[in-house]
Amino acid sequence: MGRIVGIDLGTTNSLVAYTEADGTPKCIPGPSGSTLCPSVVSLDADGSLAVGEPARRRLLTQPERTIYSVKRLMGRGTADVKDELKLFPFRIDPDSKNVIRVKLGDKIFTPPEISAFILRELKNWAEASFGEPVDRAVITVPAYFNDAQRQATKDAGRIAGLEVLRLVNEPTAAALAYGLHEKQRGHVAVYDLGGGTFDISILKLISTSDGDIYQVLSTNGDTHLGGDDIDNLLQAFVHEKILQQHKLDLSRNPELTQELRKALIDIKHKLSAAENATLRFPLPNGAVFAHEFTRESFEALILPIINRTMAPVKQALSDAHLKPSDIEEVVLVGGTTRTPLVRRMVREWFGREPHVELNPDEVVALGAAVQANILDHGVKDMLLLDVTPLSLGIETYGGAVAKIIPRNSTIPASAQELYTTGVDNQTGIDIHVLQGERELAKDCRSLARFTLRVPPAPAGLPRIEVKFLIDANGILQVAAKDMRTNEQHSIEVQPSYGINDSEIERMLEESIEYAEQDFAERQVIEARTESEAILSATHKALANAQASDLPAVERAGIESAVAALQESVAGTDYKVIRQRIDELNHATEHLAELVMNSAISSALEGRKVAEV
Amino acid sequence: MQASTQRSDYFALFGMPRKLWIEMSALEQKFLQLSWKLHPDNFVNASEEEREASLKRSSELNDAYRTLRDPVGRVEYLLAIEGERQEGEKKQQAPPELLEEAFELNESLDEWREARAAGEELGALKVRLAAAEKNFGEKLSEVDQQLQRIAREWDAAVDANADAAACKALLTRMNECLNRRSYIRNLVAGVAKELGEI
Repeated sequence: MGRIVGIDLGTTNSLVAYTEADGTPKCIPGPSGSTLCPSVVSLDADGSLAVGEPARRRLLTQPERTIYSVKRLMGRGTADVKDELKLFPFRIDPDSKNVIRVKLGDKIFTPPEISAFILRELKNWAEASFGEPVDRAVITVPAYFNDAQRQATKDAGRIAGLEVLRLVNEPTAAALAYGLHEKQRGHVAVYDLGGGTFDISILKLISTSDGDIYQVLSTNGDTHLGGDDIDNLLQAFVHEKILQQHKLDLSRNPELTQELRKALIDIKHKLSAAENATLRFPLPNGAVFAHEFTRESFEALILPIINRTMAPVKQALSDAHLKPSDIEEVVLVGGTTRTPLVRRMVREWFGREPHVELNPDEVVALGAAVQANILDHGVKDMLLLDVTPLSLGIETYGGAVAKIIPRNSTIPASAQELYTTGVDNQTGIDIHVLQGERELAKDCRSLARFTLRVPPAPAGLPRIEVKFLIDANGILQVAAKDMRTNEQHSIEVQPSYGINDSEIERMLEESIEYAEQDFAERQVIEARTESEAILSATHKALANAQASDLPAVERAGIESAVAALQESVAGTDYKVIRQRIDELNHATEHLAELVMNSAISSALEGRKVAEV
Repeated sequence: MQASTQRSDYFALFGMPRKLWIEMSALEQKFLQLSWKLHPDNFVNASEEEREASLKRSSELNDAYRTLRDPVGRVEYLLAIEGERQEGEKKQQAPPELLEEAFELNESLDEWREARAAGEELGALKVRLAAAEKNFGEKLSEVDQQLQRIAREWDAAVDANADAAACKALLTRMNECLNRRSYIRNLVAGVAKELGEI
């Protein structure tokens, strides 16, 4: 079995983390040295794929071939995101209905496929760091994600070639990371305002003789509320100003819109520390649009957005039967909580200083790594009890909804319903499963529809028990049993918003087409590249005048190590190549010293010949 | 891990008699203790069979805790396992002694809706509805107290190992009480909703 990692698949940035042998979680940096992988995917006209920072740069040059914030489209239908699509430059396939299909050039992808590209990139980062394959992951999701959004995230993992051991709610993961950081007790509120989603979770931390229990009491949120909304608002505000002052409509120009968006995000970040920041934006007509934002004017502008977090906070507290003063600790998570206005509002609401010790960008991934470690080794001294964020219901007569599992039930949770027929020889009973708090089916989220097959019998005689089960990932499972025969019925549940298994299999195959080579192949390529570097450096060093001081026996040793490495490079075993690289490095230690002594800089001392 | 061999009831799962007064801290402690053992986090690397069993048993545990923690849910559950209440049964017909008042209230509510739709003056109606809401609110706390009294009698009967007929009589009274409670609660919620208090 390969290694296991924790992944924060974020709206703006994604991260991968693991747990060290001593139990400390750590984020893994990518090639640039940063632990943040921008959640951006770009497909070039030549079919080459860019993920992360390179893709983010393409956002400015090829906005129509680049997609960001794909998390907002996960598990959603076209109708759900109509309004916000106006602000995105992506082209949506007009044929898509209940699963959005995004066009990148002439290729079409579903949101889970796009997310899978990001997951694969993170998997690569982790594999490069471990030197071992990674095949399992814990992935975090917003606590307020519904069944379809969770399923879409799980699908993305599968398409990326990862076994998703668990979906963990982001605020819960953050609480886990903080729990390790400083042992807390009592009631904790986690306020998580990220790039695209808002969550509030209320937890109870309990010490028992078995260990620490993290019990989520309630959760609430808004899966479409975050830093993106601030950016959209700023963008609309400036578009309007430019239209007034310069009679220019930038919204028709995707490149300029992206450039403006980037400039405005910079302004937003600056205003977290500075009292004012000025936007200077060159326009196509040669003029420069200038606007000074003060902290005050910025806060007045975004206040309505931040205020939208308050209703979920109140609801979560009331569901947990707690008052703000009952909360002993408040934890801030997500990049948007760097905004001073957010910190001020949270501080005032709870009457205490919130925790910001851990990097709000990294804390969720760290928690995911902690949970990954728990799952890998079994529950030892920490147990997580999470809840389902939304009530599960079934449609009854007249389009009403009967709630069968209330929101904030600890998961796994289940409910049994007994069904019978209304007319003689009825052969099917239609069942519609929904999620949400509203009273009417049309106002709730449709999860699935299916028909129970019943053998013909007089009305009221068949008795079918249907078991609805929400698993530890917050995902619905349905099973039916004939109570008269005790036979298990198989049910084909067609998800209302989602892709089926065979589609996922196809996507998994296709993704390999775009994915880089598999782990071993990649390792061979990396090892060969390194060999080239060390061979050429050795060659140069041997030609150096100082090399004449080298004893003949050492020179022979180097030459044989060179030959051995050259031979291994022809093969495909990266472990052998690495071994020969190490041997050559060892053989050239003295040579490197000699060359180094002659070199100008003594700062290079102690380095190997390949690095000189 | 063994799969549960028989469908045990929620009280038995917590090692408790079928009594309605439950010490909440004892219930919570037992819940946490069982969660350590049964939670699916323990079985990620186990066999398919064990994982299934953990999912089944931990969901049962959570369902049980959710039900027993809620005082009314607990009574409903007891009535169901004692065979007094059919699964999914929620009798909604008006208890006879409430018929007249409930009829008046529903009339007032209709008038209120019509008046509001027509944009008429609502002051007098609002006073009438508020009075009815208060009246039924009082009835609700009465029925709650009544339910508590019967629950205490039930617990005493369990302790005294009372005969089947005595138990059956208590269960029947409890069921009637619960139905009246659910009827009144719906009325109160209906008025509160109309008055915009929800």
